[in-house]
Amino acid sequence: MAMLLTVELPGAADLEAAAQRLAVPVAKLDAQFGVVPVDPDNHLYSVMVEDDAAPGASARSGVSGPYSNPRIEPFR
Amino acid sequence: MRVLIQLRTTPQARAAFAARESEPALPSHLTAAGLLLDPSFAPVTLPAPGLAPGQDGRMLAMAGPVSFSAEHGSTIVRGEIPDDDAQQEVLTAATADPGVLGVFSDPEIAHCLTCGGTPPVGKAADVAKLLHVEQLTTAGLTGAGVNLAIVDTGINVAHLKKKGQNPKVDAAHSWTPKGVKTTPGKHPVDHGSMCSFDAGIAAPQATYLDHAVLLSQTDGPTVMAGLLSDALQSFASLRKTLDAQPAAKRALVVSCSWGMFNPAWDFPVGHPGNYSNNPRHPFNVIVASLEAAGADILFAAGNCGRECPDGRCAFPSLPICGANSHGRVISVAGVDTKNKRVGYSSQGPGRLVASKPDLSSYTHFLGSGAFGAAEPDSGTSAACPVLAGVVAAIRTKYPTSRLSPLALRTMLFKTAKDAAGVGFDFDYGWGIVDTAAVLKALKTVP
Repeated sequence: MAMLLTVELPGAADLEAAAQRLAVPVAKLDAQFGVVPVDPDNHLYSVMVEDDAAPGASARSGVSGPYSNPRIEPFR
Repeated sequence: MRVLIQLRTTPQARAAFAARESEPALPSHLTAAGLLLDPSFAPVTLPAPGLAPGQDGRMLAMAGPVSFSAEHGSTIVRGEIPDDDAQQEVLTAATADPGVLGVFSDPEIAHCLTCGGTPPVGKAADVAKLLHVEQLTTAGLTGAGVNLAIVDTGINVAHLKKKGQNPKVDAAHSWTPKGVKTTPGKHPVDHGSMCSFDAGIAAPQATYLDHAVLLSQTDGPTVMAGLLSDALQSFASLRKTLDAQPAAKRALVVSCSWGMFNPAWDFPVGHPGNYSNNPRHPFNVIVASLEAAGADILFAAGNCGRECPDGRCAFPSLPICGANSHGRVISVAGVDTKNKRVGYSSQGPGRLVASKPDLSSYTHFLGSGAFGAAEPDSGTSAACPVLAGVVAAIRTKYPTSRLSPLALRTMLFKTAKDAAGVGFDFDYGWGIVDTAAVLKALKTVP
């Protein structure tokens, strides 16, 4: 299972840059989810990291999380 | 008209009541005038208010003991009086009669809130009338050229055409979760088709962006494996669409009729990864950044109203949470076409911002038929896109370069019909959207 983190990427915003910032191998990131611009004006992106790598990654500077990824349902 | 008649209790009448031998009779001149007794109503003995010496007869000032003694009491019977011109004649005769102490209205009382499972209240045509869609159309506000994102279970264009609409879907700027086989505009008829139909009431010429987030095959068994990450990707895609628009014509309306029902799906309040109460959660951040870039974002307030909550509601209080309670979105409560709040519409305060919901809009009417011909478009799920359609219609001529999302929200709040008569309240927000008043206010926009 992957965990939702945010990461500050002032330069390039791709999997390689995110993996470098998080100090994890690229393979630990969910490539299908990718690097999602959350607040690009402030260089903030979201990634999904495999849970075994998440604790170390989230301790890095410019990284926060893990965040909940709750179920959502229609209001009918 | 049905009335309650208070009769002075005579000794004879008291004896008859005691023996249950006969019902009280009305003086013949009153029955001749048209006052008719209802024999199915068992007469009720009314005690006299007990008055302390020197006290007046106002009931709320009553301090002495209530008297149930026969000589003090009176009798209530039920009857009918004419509805036409003869009514006044009957009332005059009745109040002049020494045996009649009063004639009172007997209004119908019922559980008057619309709830889940109750029949539809009105039709889409009634909603169009309440929203003054004709006036919008006359003003050229049809949604033409405006992108309206329905972030939901996907849209089925063929179904909407069968229901008399002619929607346009921009497939290139739509978004479908990985693994979903159906394509934009051709998803199964479901909740998303209801939402798009309802948005089309006020904005028939808007261009839909079909973001089928809720078709995601993620089943969400834990706090870390839900669907909100799919919504995050959808919003990132919307940001790209918005950024690609020319600044002078920028307009994107986003309608979201979903949310989180259960705090067990989230980290606890106070945990740094929490969603419900945490403005730093990435989804709450992306909502803020999309609005700052120029999008009008609407979220349904939810269906956890105190009177008849959805069975899935698990928050013990404050059910308007996360992005549904965000300060940069319009949180939409639901009213029926009689302008009454539906009992399932979630009440504030909100968790991110206390003053929620923001506005009320129409729901629980016969519309899309997405769930069957006789089933209403219901929930705050319907109220949200109905209002999103109004916003999209306004954006036809008022892009964000003329009217920022904040300025438009403020205009909608200030012009709303104050349903509770107290300004902002936690049931209706600022009130029910008033399109006619908005049209007047738009004339002041430079």
